[in-house]
Amino acid sequence: MVPDDLEVKEEEGSNMEIDVKSKNDNEIIFIIRDADFTFVNAIRRICMMEVPKVAIEDVHIVKNDSAMFDEVLAHRLGLVPLVSDAEATESLLLPEDCDCDDTCPRCTVSLVLKKKGPGVVYSKDLVSEDSKIKPVYDTIPLLKLKEDQEVELEATAQLGIGLDHAKWEPTTACAYKYYPEITIAETCDECQNCVEACPRGVLEFDQKTKEVKVVDVENCSMCKSCVRVCETKAIDIGYQEGNFIFLVETDGSVPPEEVLIKACDVLSKKADSVITFCEGGI
Amino acid sequence: MIPIRCISCGKAVSAYFDEYNTRIAEGEDPKLVLDDLGVTRYCCRRMLIAHVETW
Ligand SMILES: [Zn+2]
Ligand SMILES: [Zn+2]
Repeated sequence: MVPDDLEVKEEEGSNMEIDVKSKNDNEIIFIIRDADFTFVNAIRRICMMEVPKVAIEDVHIVKNDSAMFDEVLAHRLGLVPLVSDAEATESLLLPEDCDCDDTCPRCTVSLVLKKKGPGVVYSKDLVSEDSKIKPVYDTIPLLKLKEDQEVELEATAQLGIGLDHAKWEPTTACAYKYYPEITIAETCDECQNCVEACPRGVLEFDQKTKEVKVVDVENCSMCKSCVRVCETKAIDIGYQEGNFIFLVETDGSVPPEEVLIKACDVLSKKADSVITFCEGGI
Repeated sequence: MIPIRCISCGKAVSAYFDEYNTRIAEGEDPKLVLDDLGVTRYCCRRMLIAHVETW
């Protein structure tokens, strides 16, 4: 049992807020306020490394007449993103959770590639046995075949996590930055060097009020180019403690919101195992 | 052959390879084509710009 004095109390850090800045099919940008960076980093790392998705693992090559080596072709196939959202992978098991010895239809999906040259073989030529688990993009060139050359292979895809191989990483760019804070002091002599130096168009000079204005603070990368050119040391770049701008971009296989949901599931499972241990152990 | 993904970030840039090439051949500005395709980061942009198709 958990002793009373160890119970979690309402704390300052628990009033975290989230605002979505923009989102589309494979990218979401949101602002987290009043959070601890260790927590935000845990979410980021789990999104990249421990959220499962489907990728080709084994390739059985029947025929490959092309100039490309079998190993290279198998590696290219592994990197092709396959649709692995919750709907598509509903009935698919992780190989380690499946009770079969090696692989079975419950933990694998088979894809067949059969093509005769001449021409370029594309990811759309991969025919999956599951209508939902198929390549995200149809236009990925896989290999080239000359006249009379043939390729015939069977690939097996399975669920996996980024810790084991980068092909199982659902995210491409997955990062956060501190919320920038730009302060311009009274000592500003309106030289406008900072406006010119900023590579991201964060600053603008207002001709009417004769002062430098911050127009797009969230785009600031804190490169401090403006600080370096300011002779009067009027401009300063800092950050807001506890506020972050978080970007999750996926390779199209899993929607970004789903990656975050699954990441939170993984994190709470880890926390649950600590609770189980404490309750059983003490 | 173009690598399937961007070597740095993992974006599947090869999916845009054919469209990029045909639009460049038609005389479009590579910068605008890349912006339009949604290839925004410089790591991904160099994958397409610097690629030499040898075989
Ligand atoms: Zn199985
Ligand atoms: Zn990239």
